[in-house]
Amino acid sequence: MTDTPVSSAMTRLCDPVDISGHRNNTAVSAATDTKAGRFNVWGNSFAAEYLPAGGSLVHVAGVPFRFPPVCDGPDNVRCEGQFLEVPEGRYDWVHVLAASERRCEDTVGMHFADGAVDAEPLRVSDFWAAPAWFGEVRAFESLVMHYPHHVQRNVSALMWAQRVPVTRRAGLTGVRLPRNIAVHVFAVTLQRTEAGA
Amino acid sequence: MTSDVTARTYMITGPEPELWYRDPVSCLQSTFGAVVARAGADPLAVLGAGWRFLHLPGDVRSEEFYYPCPPDAAGETDLGAALAPHHELHARWWQPADEDDVWREVRESLAGDRPVIAAVDNFHLPFRPAYSDVHAAHLVVVYGLDEVRGVVYVSDAMPPAFRGAVPVEAFLRSWGSANPTDHQDAFFSDSRIGRRCLDVRLDAVPPPLTPEALGGFLRTDVELFTTEGPARTGLAGLDAFARELTGRCHAGDVDALRELYAFGWGMQAQAALHGELLRRCGHFWGDPELAGAGRAVEAVAHAWTGLRITGAHGLDDPRASAADIAHHATVLRTRYATAVDAVGAAATRL
Repeated sequence: MTDTPVSSAMTRLCDPVDISGHRNNTAVSAATDTKAGRFNVWGNSFAAEYLPAGGSLVHVAGVPFRFPPVCDGPDNVRCEGQFLEVPEGRYDWVHVLAASERRCEDTVGMHFADGAVDAEPLRVSDFWAAPAWFGEVRAFESLVMHYPHHVQRNVSALMWAQRVPVTRRAGLTGVRLPRNIAVHVFAVTLQRTEAGA
Repeated sequence: MTSDVTARTYMITGPEPELWYRDPVSCLQSTFGAVVARAGADPLAVLGAGWRFLHLPGDVRSEEFYYPCPPDAAGETDLGAALAPHHELHARWWQPADEDDVWREVRESLAGDRPVIAAVDNFHLPFRPAYSDVHAAHLVVVYGLDEVRGVVYVSDAMPPAFRGAVPVEAFLRSWGSANPTDHQDAFFSDSRIGRRCLDVRLDAVPPPLTPEALGGFLRTDVELFTTEGPARTGLAGLDAFARELTGRCHAGDVDALRELYAFGWGMQAQAALHGELLRRCGHFWGDPELAGAGRAVEAVAHAWTGLRITGAHGLDDPRASAADIAHHATVLRTRYATAVDAVGAAATRL
């Protein structure tokens, strides 16, 4: 688990985005109620005991994320092309906490105030006991896998910290998530462009 | 140990089978990889050397290890040749000939220092997450049999990765399971196991891969991708498959999505291994074009995720998922075309 508070210039440039209105899937469950989670079609889920507290501010590689509610309703956005409005501004990176039902790469749409739209890659490694194939940071690891009827040892569930570039030097107003339900987004943080850049 | 005991204990020599695994592969590639490694070859170089598209309508079985394997003129199939078309890898399905002595062939194979790949039902295997919960067809490597202690030695690289002894009684239940329909696994249940086994042989350990050899493999495969044939092969075959898949979804045919998950796994795994091999070779040989082609092939594997997972979640209402299936099929087609182009360009210089 990478949960080290970092007070850095980058941290001060980062603004967590409120995605609560888009959450549509429950990927985390308690050991006493493993059926409550349904990250994938088999009803597997992350074990809450290995994850941060719901609603807490966590830092992964210096990037602050607002962790979603845990065992209190939907905790992630299963990507179906949702449009996330963001405070208009110049940003360099869109950081995400994400997991994928098998290794996946798709695109997000960066929407700008002047009407421009750029497609940028979002690459997320498998959540199922897999390496960081796309060079992401392993943000959180559930050391056990929850099944509907039992807790499985020796199979981990992984949540990755990935980032997507904002290459256009223009005011970003929204981010359209991929139309790909294999990808689950738990938190989003924008990193502003440094003054003068 | 008495001679009588020795005669009832069979174990391959040397180290236990390698737990060979990549996250996009299924038990099919992981078990073949273990046998190839034991034969002294690099599993990635053998299993990743070929890259093709083949869909056989009506052939897909609800098994994790399904892979399209056309019969030859004599009606025989060779799963090894399908998985590794550029190497002397061969595999033959068999079942015990004597119901009164189902271990006879396993003993003979182990006595000949050859592990056996066995089909099993996860429901009956204590080390599988699905134990006593979900029925699903799977493959494991059998590398020992101790009839005195009553255990079978089994290796399975798929998470949680197990290598060790399993009670004979449990293995027999798994090996002989009817693998009945199980609503918890719509993709790999409802397929009788029938004590099937695979005899896998690598008849020739390949020499270290050279640019010239790889170039030949790539040119052959690119030609197959770009030449229309009688079967559903290459890009034209992919188009036919995608059209039919979307049409069956519009018609509410749930079997189309069940088949997609099993069939797609083989295609996804093949693309992942081929892409990794090309990228690795490109890196080692200082050939950025080849490395980039490998990355393009890996992107094909990653596009299979969107299609397969969309289908997996669409079983309750195939019509509702038809538009998303069509979208992901389009993405997949684009990735295939891009990758074939990139591989073709890289191959011309090898």
